[in-house]
Amino acid sequence: MPEVRNVSSQTALMEEIHMDTTVLVVGGGWHGMKVAYELACIGYQVVLIENGTSIGGKAPSDHLVSTSEQELSVLLKKVKDHEAIEVLASTRLVALSGVPGDFRVRLEQDGQALEKAAGAVVVALEAERVPMLEAYRLNPGENALSQSQLERMLDSPEEKDRFCGEDSKDVLFLVGLQQEGNPLVMERALRSAIELQDTGGCQATILVGNVKLAHDGLETLYKQSRERGVLYFKLRESPLITQNGLNFQIKFFDGVLHSDVELTPDVLVVEEAIRPHPQAPDLARVLRIDTDPEGFFQPDNVHYLPVRSNREGIYVIGSARQSSNLRHGWSDVQNAVLAVRQLLGEGKSLVPREKAKIHRGKCTICLTCFRVCPHGAIYWDNRAVISPVACQGCGICASECPMDAIQLVDYRDDQIEAQIFELGNINSNTPQIIAFCCQNSAYEAGQMARLFGSSLPEGLQMIKVPCAGKVDVDYILKAFQAGADGVLVLACHKDNCKSQQGNTFAEWRVEDATRMLAEVGLETERLRFITLASNMPVEFVRITREIEDKLREMGPSPMKKQALAKTAS
Amino acid sequence: MPLTGAALWSVEMAGCLRSAIFLVLHGELLRIPILKGRNRTIQNHGAILSEGLLNQRSKGNSPDQAPKKVLVIGGGIAGLTAAWELARLDLDVKLIEKSSFLGGHAIQFCCKAADECQKCGACLVEKRLLEVIEEPRIKVYLKSEIEKMNRNSRFSYTLSQRSLYIDSQRCTNCGLCFEKCPADGAVIRGYSKNNVPLYAIDETHCPHFKDGSCRLCEDLCPEKAINLDPEPDRVSGEADAIVVASGFQTFDPVNRPRYGYGINKNLITALDLERMLREKGEVLRPSDDKVPEKIAFIQCVGSRDHKLQHGFCSQVCCGYAMRMAEAIHYRHPGAEVTIFYMDIQNCGKNFSKFYERCKDHIRFVRFMPGDIFQGEQDQLILCYGDEKDGHSVREPFDLVVLSVGIMPGPSNASLADMLKLDLDEHGFFAFADPLDSTSTSQQGVFLAGTAQGPKDIADTMAQAGQAAQRVAHYLGVMPCPK
Repeated sequence: MPEVRNVSSQTALMEEIHMDTTVLVVGGGWHGMKVAYELACIGYQVVLIENGTSIGGKAPSDHLVSTSEQELSVLLKKVKDHEAIEVLASTRLVALSGVPGDFRVRLEQDGQALEKAAGAVVVALEAERVPMLEAYRLNPGENALSQSQLERMLDSPEEKDRFCGEDSKDVLFLVGLQQEGNPLVMERALRSAIELQDTGGCQATILVGNVKLAHDGLETLYKQSRERGVLYFKLRESPLITQNGLNFQIKFFDGVLHSDVELTPDVLVVEEAIRPHPQAPDLARVLRIDTDPEGFFQPDNVHYLPVRSNREGIYVIGSARQSSNLRHGWSDVQNAVLAVRQLLGEGKSLVPREKAKIHRGKCTICLTCFRVCPHGAIYWDNRAVISPVACQGCGICASECPMDAIQLVDYRDDQIEAQIFELGNINSNTPQIIAFCCQNSAYEAGQMARLFGSSLPEGLQMIKVPCAGKVDVDYILKAFQAGADGVLVLACHKDNCKSQQGNTFAEWRVEDATRMLAEVGLETERLRFITLASNMPVEFVRITREIEDKLREMGPSPMKKQALAKTAS
Repeated sequence: MPLTGAALWSVEMAGCLRSAIFLVLHGELLRIPILKGRNRTIQNHGAILSEGLLNQRSKGNSPDQAPKKVLVIGGGIAGLTAAWELARLDLDVKLIEKSSFLGGHAIQFCCKAADECQKCGACLVEKRLLEVIEEPRIKVYLKSEIEKMNRNSRFSYTLSQRSLYIDSQRCTNCGLCFEKCPADGAVIRGYSKNNVPLYAIDETHCPHFKDGSCRLCEDLCPEKAINLDPEPDRVSGEADAIVVASGFQTFDPVNRPRYGYGINKNLITALDLERMLREKGEVLRPSDDKVPEKIAFIQCVGSRDHKLQHGFCSQVCCGYAMRMAEAIHYRHPGAEVTIFYMDIQNCGKNFSKFYERCKDHIRFVRFMPGDIFQGEQDQLILCYGDEKDGHSVREPFDLVVLSVGIMPGPSNASLADMLKLDLDEHGFFAFADPLDSTSTSQQGVFLAGTAQGPKDIADTMAQAGQAAQRVAHYLGVMPCPK
């Protein structure tokens, strides 16, 4: 039977630490106000900062706002009146240091520096809406409108008259043709089209890529719009648009009619893109948190959902992390409140005294750990210090440290090496395989395979590591030294590592080790880096059996003899 | 370390974190890791904890009263998440699940990673389930349903619990019963290693419950953990708040007879495909167990269907179809995948780049095939109109996958009746406050997950977290720092 080892059961001493119960909320839009108010209501002090001159700001582009506008204006008043909320307008975050529960924040208000302490940070920078007239190669004009312009016109009775009675017009919407689109953008076009159709004389037509309806109630709205007479053309690509003064000519091929269609609308309404707040990149740098490829906060990694950033104690909500309607945004607010209270509690928290130790004698202050820590858990206090609150115990720092000055409390190098050298029966003819398994994925999958009675290679030894990023080149080489015929490094899939980069570090190290093996003349096929997930027991079996077959074919590792000689002596 | 007898009485709870319990024993702080998957150990620790909880001044509850109790209805990812978040707030949680296993639909889903993660979130369910079974403040009732519900100042309820037949204290998960059972589907196994107990007996397939003819598993079990005799049980209890997380059912394609689901083996639902990928790690044609060369997905099966009164988008099908198509392409690069669709809906962050990447490997055809015909060699023939010239095309496929939608749960009506809740026009639970989708017309009752409407794993978990926070708010369980 394959042997399964677990070294994490070291007893770590706990200590109670003080947590600052002030929360810094960045962004005074709707989400920022809501989260500030909710936090204040359960007893936290809140510092709400807004770069603009006042909070409230532009309402998010969302029909839900209009349905509960009153509630929201009440919210604005509540926030301003609440004694536990300090509102700082015209203020920007300049620097943040410290650790969760004890962040030091430097602010700048009208050129004046301010210092604050905070236990946690909530980022609520609202996304912005960007008109896309340019993308459609249209010049703005009185009949080439952005969606917001149209909405404003429909909201004011005089302006709305321009679409009524004898002034009724053919209005053409362009949606999801120069961007992929999303339900928020779609919903606004649907609502405006219905409103126009209801004026009596207007004909609304929507040219659309995909009708995005994946929000509650949108299919019903879509059906309503068709019943009211809104026309739809679904296109694969943007139509040919000619703008000649106030006249438009729109040409495209329609897949339903199977012919070319030409339209000459009176008014063109162009969709808007939802983009991250322009200050998002700066703020991400100051907070040392990651953004996704579109520039929204929060990496595209499911482990951070719903509101976590890659740093403990910093949360991202609402349209700061993705385009979402207010209902989803309010859900984020509640999740952030939940996360803050789990972290800060009543101002005290029980944490392990240390998750990782830095050996002061060995540390040469090269700052490698500080740079590689994906959780921003290492700070500077005349020496490198690892915050036990922020540390997630991945061990990337320990493996990257050129001086081997860092040891994880639960996964010390000597413990893992002891396991490596405990390799089963290296005398036997069955290939001996050491698999370094990330505890979040491969280790779980391997355990599941065993429990389900799958037949795993006889000579397989799983060694549990906190993250594949903890697998040193040393471990790999020592595994061969110990007499392993093959070594597997099993990590999470790309973008699924809880520590963001652990799998990447592991892959690099396997590449390094492979080069070294090649140099000493060992077949490089004996070492493999493979990604998998916790719910892949079948693949775990397939992968391990495949390498077993391969190793059987290749015969025993040449290094085995040395290992045998060593054991004999 | 044996911590029994006298030692137990001197134990005072100090806290409970993730996979370990911390105890203060004679003034010393101890950390006892909970061994994963070993139910016996967990229950022993649970006993220690419940002793401890009696004396504990928990942060969520005032010292002179017992912890507030919350009933979570449904053990899918919504119920698991709500229960776990509530337990972390030191509330006493009862989690009831109708089936033999926790995890609902989502625990059956496969990992859809290609060379990189596709962000389906199936692995999150695995993790959450592990966290729940390790959490002693959550008491799980499997095979249970609510029979009666009354409300005075609190909710008092009666559960009917069908017997589990397998004693989880004794069962060692050896799997002998599962292996040797002569009847198909009578002994069933959970989808994940984190299902505790891992095995269950399905009365509808077990010959003992038909005619009393077989008790093989009872005799075989080396630990004598199986007893087929017990009758259903009743459990009564009280709760201060309720979370409705009763989930959904997938659309049954039999209700769209033109597809002929059930006639050709190679016409499967997306849920069948999820389970196949999870159990076998590859796609095989049911008729001959060969890797299909041509695979078609048909979207919107049961969703956005006004004829069937399903005027809603299921919100998840485009995402799962594209992700599974990518996973299939990765595992079987030779297989050609086509998706027939009306409109492609977004999923997750960074959707446009994901969609662009999919277009490199997947053929997208904007047409909903009406009928499915039988072809040669168990192939299926789809008829659709060509987008360019409108001509009708007949194309054979080796495997056709119906992207079945999310439908209201089968017990929504009775549950709504019992709890005096409203259902929306489609049969999902209606929310009362337009900005809070967990709210209901009844104080103290909250919604989470697909019971409220279609949503994916990520949105479900977010809504369940929100529901937990709303419950805490309702119960006045506040940290109130000075």
